[in-house]
Parts: sequence; C-alpha cells; structure tokens
Amino acid sequence: MKKLGIFPLLFLLAGCTNSTVLNPKSTTGKEQAFLIWFGLGIMLFVLVIVFFLLARVVINYREKKNGLEEYRPKFISPKKQRKLELIWTIGPIVLLIILAIPTVSTGLKQSPVAEAESTMDGVHIDVTAKQFEWTFIYETDKEKHNILLLPEGEPIILHLSSMDVIHSFWVPELAGKVDLVPGKPIVYRIENPEIGVYKGKCAEYCGVQHANMTFTVKVVAKEEFEEYIAK
Amino acid sequence: MNWSEITVHIPFFGESIFLTIDVFIAWILLIVLVIGAIVYAFRKRKFPVIRDYLYTTNHRKVGTLYMIFGFIFFLRAGLDALFIRLQLALPNNNFMDFQLEKYNETFTSHGTMMIFFAAMPMLIGLMNIAVPLQIGAKDLAFPFLNAVSLWLFVAGGVMFGSAYFLNSSPAIGWTGYAPYSTAVYTPGAATNFYVFGVQISGLGTIFAALNMIVTIVRHRAPGMKLIRMPLFPWASLVTSFLIVIAFTVLAIALYLLMFDRLFGTSFFGGEEGDPVYWQHLFWFFGHPEVYVLALPAFGLFSDIISSFSKKPIFGYPAMVISLALIGFLGFMVWAHHMFTVGLGPMVNTFFAVTTMTIAIPTGIKVFNWIFTMHGGSLKTTTPMLFAIGFIPSFVMGGVTGVMLAVSAADFQLHDTHFVVAHFHYVILASTILGIFAGLYYWYPKITGYQLNETLGKWHFWLFLIGYHMTFLPMHLTGMQGLPRRVYTYGSDEGMTALNFTSTIGASLMGVSIVILVWNIWQTNRQGILVGDDPWDGRTLEWSVASPSPEDTFTPMPFIECTDPFWDAKTKGQKLKTAPNPRPAPIDEHTVLPFLMALAVLVIGFGLIYQSYLTAGIGGVAIFALFIIRSFRDEHTSFHKEGARHE
Ligand code: HEM
Ligand SMILES: [Cu+2]
Ligand SMILES: [Cu+2]
Repeated sequence: MKKLGIFPLLFLLAGCTNSTVLNPKSTTGKEQAFLIWFGLGIMLFVLVIVFFLLARVVINYREKKNGLEEYRPKFISPKKQRKLELIWTIGPIVLLIILAIPTVSTGLKQSPVAEAESTMDGVHIDVTAKQFEWTFIYETDKEKHNILLLPEGEPIILHLSSMDVIHSFWVPELAGKVDLVPGKPIVYRIENPEIGVYKGKCAEYCGVQHANMTFTVKVVAKEEFEEYIAK
Repeated sequence: MNWSEITVHIPFFGESIFLTIDVFIAWILLIVLVIGAIVYAFRKRKFPVIRDYLYTTNHRKVGTLYMIFGFIFFLRAGLDALFIRLQLALPNNNFMDFQLEKYNETFTSHGTMMIFFAAMPMLIGLMNIAVPLQIGAKDLAFPFLNAVSLWLFVAGGVMFGSAYFLNSSPAIGWTGYAPYSTAVYTPGAATNFYVFGVQISGLGTIFAALNMIVTIVRHRAPGMKLIRMPLFPWASLVTSFLIVIAFTVLAIALYLLMFDRLFGTSFFGGEEGDPVYWQHLFWFFGHPEVYVLALPAFGLFSDIISSFSKKPIFGYPAMVISLALIGFLGFMVWAHHMFTVGLGPMVNTFFAVTTMTIAIPTGIKVFNWIFTMHGGSLKTTTPMLFAIGFIPSFVMGGVTGVMLAVSAADFQLHDTHFVVAHFHYVILASTILGIFAGLYYWYPKITGYQLNETLGKWHFWLFLIGYHMTFLPMHLTGMQGLPRRVYTYGSDEGMTALNFTSTIGASLMGVSIVILVWNIWQTNRQGILVGDDPWDGRTLEWSVASPSPEDTFTPMPFIECTDPFWDAKTKGQKLKTAPNPRPAPIDEHTVLPFLMALAVLVIGFGLIYQSYLTAGIGGVAIFALFIIRSFRDEHTSFHKEGARHE
C-alpha cells in the first residue's frame, strides 16, 4: 500500500508542466488554480494520514505464523475509543471549514449569473453557440465565428446563450466553464486576461461533432482590440 | 480502411437497419456463443437446472441470476471501456470506426450499462443472497415479487443491450441531458432504447428495494434487534430507502422525457420547457445513486474486515449512524453537478458546503475500518485483500470529490477527465471491489465451493494495479484540458504518454477479469465442497449449510448479541433456538414472473419503435398474466407439496 503513495506525486510532477488549468493566464483562472492547489494540499494531508495508519495497522497486525493460540484481540478502552472517534469527527470538520472559507468567497464572486441579474462594467461580448459553431458578437455588432479576440487586462463580460442544445464555453488557460443553455442567457466574467493565443473547447456533450467544436482565443493589446472590433 | 462504409442492410419494424461491419461481427459472435451455450447445456444435461432457475423464487437462486446477468452486462460494458481506451490511446487516433457517433454510442452504452445493468444488479444479487441468511429470514418477504424484479431488470438490460445489435445505440451520454435527448435533436429509436431500457429495469429495482425493506423490518430472527444486525443488512436497508426515493424521481424524469419524445409535450425543450429541469430531476436521482452503489459495499467491507481481523467492528453505533447520515445528506447535494449552468452564487455556495459535509461521516467510516483491524489478527484472504485495497483507493476518490465540491475549482474540473477519474475511483473502489470481495466471500454459500485463492490474489493485484494505472493519469489529462466525451486530442497537448498509460492499465484490468472467469470455471469443475463455515465467520449465514438450502433456519435461532454465530462458537455452544418463530414467506415454483417481464419487453419494443399495436399486445398479455396469478395461491401449493419444504 505504501508504494501507491508516491505514485500521485510522481505523476503530479510530470503533469503540472503541461497543465493548462494550473498555469492560468488571467486573474479568474489564477483564483481557480489556487483553489485547486489549496484543496489538493489539504486533501494530500488527509491521504498521508490514512495511508500511514492503514499501512501501520496492516503490517503490525498480520496474522502471526504461530497461529491463533496466541491470539487475543486487543481492544481499545471505551474511554480512549470515544476520544479517538471525537478526533476523527472534529478533525475533518476543522479541515473542511478551512477549505470552505475560500470556497465560499471565490464561489460567491465567480459564479455565473442569469442575464437579468447582471450589471457589470467591462467589455461586453455576446457568445452564441449552435451545433457545432461558435459566434462572437462585439459591442460594435462585429460578428465572427470560432475566433474570439479579447483585450488584455480588461474585465470581460460574456453573455452566453445557445441556439439549440446545451454547450459549454471553456478556455482552460483563462477560466473555468460556463454552460450555454437555450432560452436562458447567462453572464460570466473573466478578469484580466494576459496576452497570448489559447485554445477554447466545448465542454458539454452536444452531439456528433462535439469533440471538434473548438475555437481560438487571442488576447491582444487594447488598441489592437479596438481596431479589430471597429473594422 | 474506412470501416463505417461497409454495411449490411436488413428491414426491421418498417425501418431498415444498416449494420456496420463491427455490428455484423458482433452478431456472428453472439450467434456462435448462444449456439455454443445451448450445445453445452444439452451435452451436460443442464436443461433441468435452467428450468429450475427460470421457475425459481428462492432468494439465493434469484440472487445468483442477478449476479450472472449482471456479470454478462459487466463484460459487455467492459468491452466498451476497452474500445474507448483503445481509441484514446494515441492522439488523432482512428481505432476501427470508434470515432464521432460510434464513440458517443460507446461511452453512452458503457456508462449506462455499468451503472444500471452491471453494478446495481450485482449488488442487489449479493443482497438477495446474503441479507436473508444474515438476519435469519427464510426468504425475502415477497419471493414472487423478487423474481419479478429480477426478470424486469433482465428485460431492461437485454432491451438496452440489443440496441447495439440493431445499430441504433443511444448516443446521449448516461445522463441523457435535454434538449439533446428530445426528439428534436435525436429522433428515432436509439434514444428510446435508453428511455425504456432504464425505465423498465428501474421498476424492477424499486420493487427489489421495497422487498428488501419489508424483509429486513419484518423477518429478522427473534431477538435480532436492529442494533444487533450485521452492517451489510444495515447498509442494504439504508440503500433500499435511497432507491425508493431516488428511483421514483428517475422514473418521473424518464416518463416526462417519454412524453416529450413520443407525445409532443415540451417539458424539457421548446418555448415553454426548460432543459435545466431535466438536470434537477436527473441529479436528484443521480447523486443518491452514487450512494446506492457505495453503501452496500461499505456494509459488506465492514463485515469482511471484522471477520478477517477476528474482531467485532470498531464503533458499531457510529458505523450505523454514518450510513444513515450519508444517505440523508446524499439528497442535499445534487446541484453540485450543475455549478456551471448558472443557478447563481447563492445556490452554488450552498451546495458546495453541503457536499463537503458528506466527507465527515465518510471519514468516520474509514477510520473505524482501520481501527477494526487495529489489535486484530489479519488473515489476508482474497476478500480481505479486496477490503484492504478498497480503503486507500476509495479515499483517493473521496478526496478528489472534496476538491470538486469547491465550486469555483469545479468550473475548471467539471466535465473533464478529472471527473472521469474521480467517479471511477469512487465507484470502482467501492462497488466493483466490493462486488468482487462479496463474490469470493459468499461463493461457498452460493455454490458450496471456494474460489481458488491463488488465482484470486492474481485477480486482485492485477485489477488493483490496472485500476490505478488507468485512472490516476486521468486526473492530469483533465487538468491539461481534456474534456470528457471527446474521441480525440491533439499530439501537441502533451497528454500522449498519460493516455497511453491509461490504456495499458485498462488492458491489465481486462486480463484480471479473464483470470476471474477462469477461476470460476475451474472451481465449479473441480467441485470441492468446503463445508458450512470455511472462513470461520461471525454472522448467521455461516451457521446454515453450503450452498444454502431452500429451507434455512429450522429450527429458528434466537439472537442475543451481535456476531451471534461467533459468540456461540467461542463459547463452544450451539446457537440458542427460538420456541415458536413467525411463519416464514414461502418460495414458489412459477414461470409467471419471467412471462410478465417478457410481456413488458414486448411493450417496451412496441413503444421504442412506436408500434402501438405491438405495445397493446404486450399490455393484453400482462393483463392476462395478472388474471392467472390472481387465481393462484402459494399457500395452497405449499400445503400440497408440504414435503418439499418441511
Ligand atoms: C473496468 C474498467 C473501466 C474503464 C477502463 C473505464 C473507462 C472509462 C472512460 C475512459 C470513460 C470516459 C469516456 C469519455 O468521457 O470519453 C468512462 C466513462 C464512464 N464510465 Fe467507465 N470505465 C471502467 C469501468 C466503469 C465502471 C465499473 C463503471 C460504473 C459502475 C463505469 C462508469 C462510467 C460512467 C457512468 C461513465 C460516463 C459515461 C458518460 O460520459 O456518459 N465505468 N469510462
Ligand atoms: Cu459540445
Ligand atoms: Cu453527485
């Protein structure tokens, strides 16, 4: 059992360098990556304790070769048992409260909201999806398929809706996903994107070509963006 | 070669069916297998046995059939998994024609079959076999209904499974999200197979759960208070309540979808409808379903760990309370599957926090298992190995669950291979390892033989290594941006090695299953009887003969403590007997349950192809069967053939 413990660490080292989610290029993405690391940290702590206890117990209490004659089950006294049970009830509660604090604060801030409830400042872009194409409409009514330009450093307010089935807008480097639900426009906000070219994907299964419903996101300097949408 | 262009053309129900080449090969294999099985049965004169099982309502035999059919569907869904992994082994891969629609059909069949037709039935099979024996009941409360449940499950499974052979596999994912699953986007028979296959077997599951509840509440041996009951029956009881609540909601959702698809309503689509309603209904079923899969395994591992540590379970009251708490909290977390659909910050936060709380009772269970072993004398038999392997594996799935509960982190991880890794970790560790453990543990009670321990250990180690190799890398591919339900990825995304590792792991699991099948085959051929109590067990099932006879517990034992059999053994006494026990349910020899399910199958096929005449014929048939049934009375036949039972 013990050997299994080092596996995840090895894999993690190998994987993080390629990870898009853990190398985010926007404030929104960074907050999310922090939450993933934070959760992972607390959880690795729990894992280590469980693995350690289990390994010890399994090694120490394997059936002895000299058989059952010698065997007397060792019992923990009721008092100690109550204490132990309290420890592993309260311990996790404490850990979960620690995890719940950033969960609540970031969750409240970042959760996508229904269109009607939103009054936000920033660069507004309409994102419309249909099988299997993305359409992006800017404030100047400029319309473009499958390519999205964003200005660097601005808050981006996406107004997402679908013309047919449910899709999901996902640019792993920039932020988590938001669904595009027919008849229910949703607003999602990405803070502070950094210059670069990123791959966007549809992340909600939407039909035959779902895997190929990708798009390209280019984050450019503000002037370039203004020029682009004016054209 | 372009696989999808080679087709065979066959007319069916007024539609014509194109068989792609893989379906054609599957047909030939199926025919060869069926003929082979018939020839084998004929040569070995097995027809009386088959007839006996077709007519049986005995809990052990019904349970065995649950296991057998569940295992067949497990093999089928496992093959799907291998095809999925072969297609994903390399970037831009083209494995046969498993791309695009075929890939979508494959993961849909894989998920749906694994959950509804493999994992659940095998668990219900184990409950059928073990629960009555552990609580001192002669049979389930309603043996006839039990057989109806079984055959309804088989009907649903066969119906869903046949979709592939008719080249109309559903491709809507096991979650069947609207509006994609409505007739606007997926018209025709394929999606109907999902709707009716799951609906029919779900009905059987609800019956099974009701049966289990009444059995456990009404038919415990005298003296066995609920607080003296072993943990597997406890888990079965809680699970059955979850099933009754969750599966009725699933049934409602599927009926509404049926109306949308066949009768032109628009609950989940169109102007008036709302696709998010489907998600609410589905996940109000779907999350408790996870616990329906996990809790019986928890119960079973509790019994196994206690048996092979030679100690009573540590903190029995806490174990029972945590089972109930998990079941209860399981209904308050469903929207954690919907963080990204825009329910709003308050809703997301509420469900993030409720989800985290489930970790507390689950943690209690884990530590109690470890401390059950503490101070004991651990005998590492195959069932115990599965139990020890279960603990760290399950905890690894549990901790990623907590990570996913963090709503803003879930925006990134949702619908990626990270989630695929998470739920396979949880389900395989609990349910599948649990089923294997239960199979090895209770095999003597089912057949009288004990599965070979050496092969069992090979099975265990290969499966465990394969399992971690398959799913550990998926956490990383998910965080590198691999969404679930996609058939391809680019060579520039740096996830080739990880995906390839996954595929190798999957094939290791495949090999381990071959070993299991070989083990079962060999064990049954050698047929070495091992006696009533091969594991030196603690609970009542080990006090009856192996395989368990149709008339157990005569005389009826009287229970004064938990682990009564162990208690009696250590004191060198026999179990005390109860002077005048309650009359027990009576098993019957009848083919009616099988015929009823057959009629339901006909109705299902009629509705799938919208041939209402066919459905009507099935309806008349079932009505006729009800009438026949109401003229019969098992008590009469019991008194006539009294000799068989006494
Ligand atoms: C035995 C080895 C198994 C392997 C190698 C395997 C592999 C996979 C893979 C790779 C996927 C993701 C497909 C995709 O999203 O593109 C998947 C999906 C899934 N698997 Fe498994 N799996 C296995 C066993 C199981 C078991 C035992 C269960 C449940 C009892 C299960 C339930 C599911 C479900 C529900 C899905 C989701 C299907 C969907 O997206 O609609 N799998 N499996
Ligand atoms: Cu899509
Ligand atoms: Cu859930």
